[in-house]
Amino acid sequence: MNSTAFQVIKHNRLSIIERWQEEMSNFQEGERELTHVTREVFLNANTEFIDKLMAQVTNDHETISPELKDFFERTIQIGWPLNYITQGLQTFLRVTLQVIMDQDFDKEEAFKIYDLLDRSIDGLFNEIVQYTTHTWKNTISVQKMALLELSAPLIPVFEHITVMPLIGTIDTERAKWIMENLLEGAIKHRSQVVLIDITGVPIVDTMVAHHIIQAAEAVRLIGAKCILVGIRPEIAQTIVNLGIDLSEFPTRSNLLKGIEAALELTNKKIETLS
Amino acid sequence: MRIPILKLHEYLLISIQMELDDMTALQFQEDLLNKIHDTGARGVVIDLTSVDMVDSFIAKVLGDVVKMSNLMGAKVVMTGIQPPVAITLIDLGIVMRDVPTALDLEQGLDKLQQELEV
Repeated sequence: MNSTAFQVIKHNRLSIIERWQEEMSNFQEGERELTHVTREVFLNANTEFIDKLMAQVTNDHETISPELKDFFERTIQIGWPLNYITQGLQTFLRVTLQVIMDQDFDKEEAFKIYDLLDRSIDGLFNEIVQYTTHTWKNTISVQKMALLELSAPLIPVFEHITVMPLIGTIDTERAKWIMENLLEGAIKHRSQVVLIDITGVPIVDTMVAHHIIQAAEAVRLIGAKCILVGIRPEIAQTIVNLGIDLSEFPTRSNLLKGIEAALELTNKKIETLS
Repeated sequence: MRIPILKLHEYLLISIQMELDDMTALQFQEDLLNKIHDTGARGVVIDLTSVDMVDSFIAKVLGDVVKMSNLMGAKVVMTGIQPPVAITLIDLGIVMRDVPTALDLEQGLDKLQQELEV
């Protein structure tokens, strides 16, 4: 930053900080994430924020200082909203602009100073956006992995009979995963009958039905039979109303009926001992 | 290169262990039908355990072989279709609905026996 701008900010340091504090002190109201934060903690954070920001700007570093970065990361990690930081930076920019305008600079000079300031704040914006998107991406990928692990378990219940309970919405990606798991598992357990339980699938539309039919066809190709179980009344209604043809493979209302059918198919029977 | 066809009592066993190209598939179709004619076999098991790629033409030929064999009085069961193959076939829209399938050779023979008994 050129020396004039530097001088102006340094000179008006106190008034900038004061005005900034004033504007930011209202921020806490109306932010849901900040309602449980005490006033004192919030004001302390504000002070820390403006001190570090001021140090960053007046020190004229190209890159973000470790202290400021550390402050940003901490704020995000404890769950404060991202716009606390963006608001803080914008307020700083606005306040400083006011201070610059109050000085007797000609237009060109004032613009030059403002431009320099704007650029240096821009760098901070980039830094924080990058950091938060990175954190979010990480979180999402971790959650995705966790979801996949829970996604399509295959449970052998009797010799040659396997159950795959499905819970939650099925999208294309998950359907692919389900099909792969289903086929690999059916071969691994040497299943003759595979029961797909859709009790936990909230909505069965044409796409979901299509995926299930495809899975059932694939299971037939590798040499096992597929029974669709857990068809709730509302699901039966949607299936018929949408004109989906499930007549190609057997369906049952619940897992119990499905297992009975599967036992029959594999020439097995459960008997009560007298 | 021809695909070997083995005779076991009244069944014919075929294990396809090579890359199936169009020529080989057609040759196989002819060989199998001749063999059925020669031996009077009542059942055929085609094992695809070591096949990892089936295109639409091969799928059609295999489906045809099944129908032709049925015409000649021999029941056919396909066994050991691998998951990737099954997924490819489904993606291509080939369901081979009339072809009986089984998990492996053992279950395939059981299935044949059941169907022939009826």
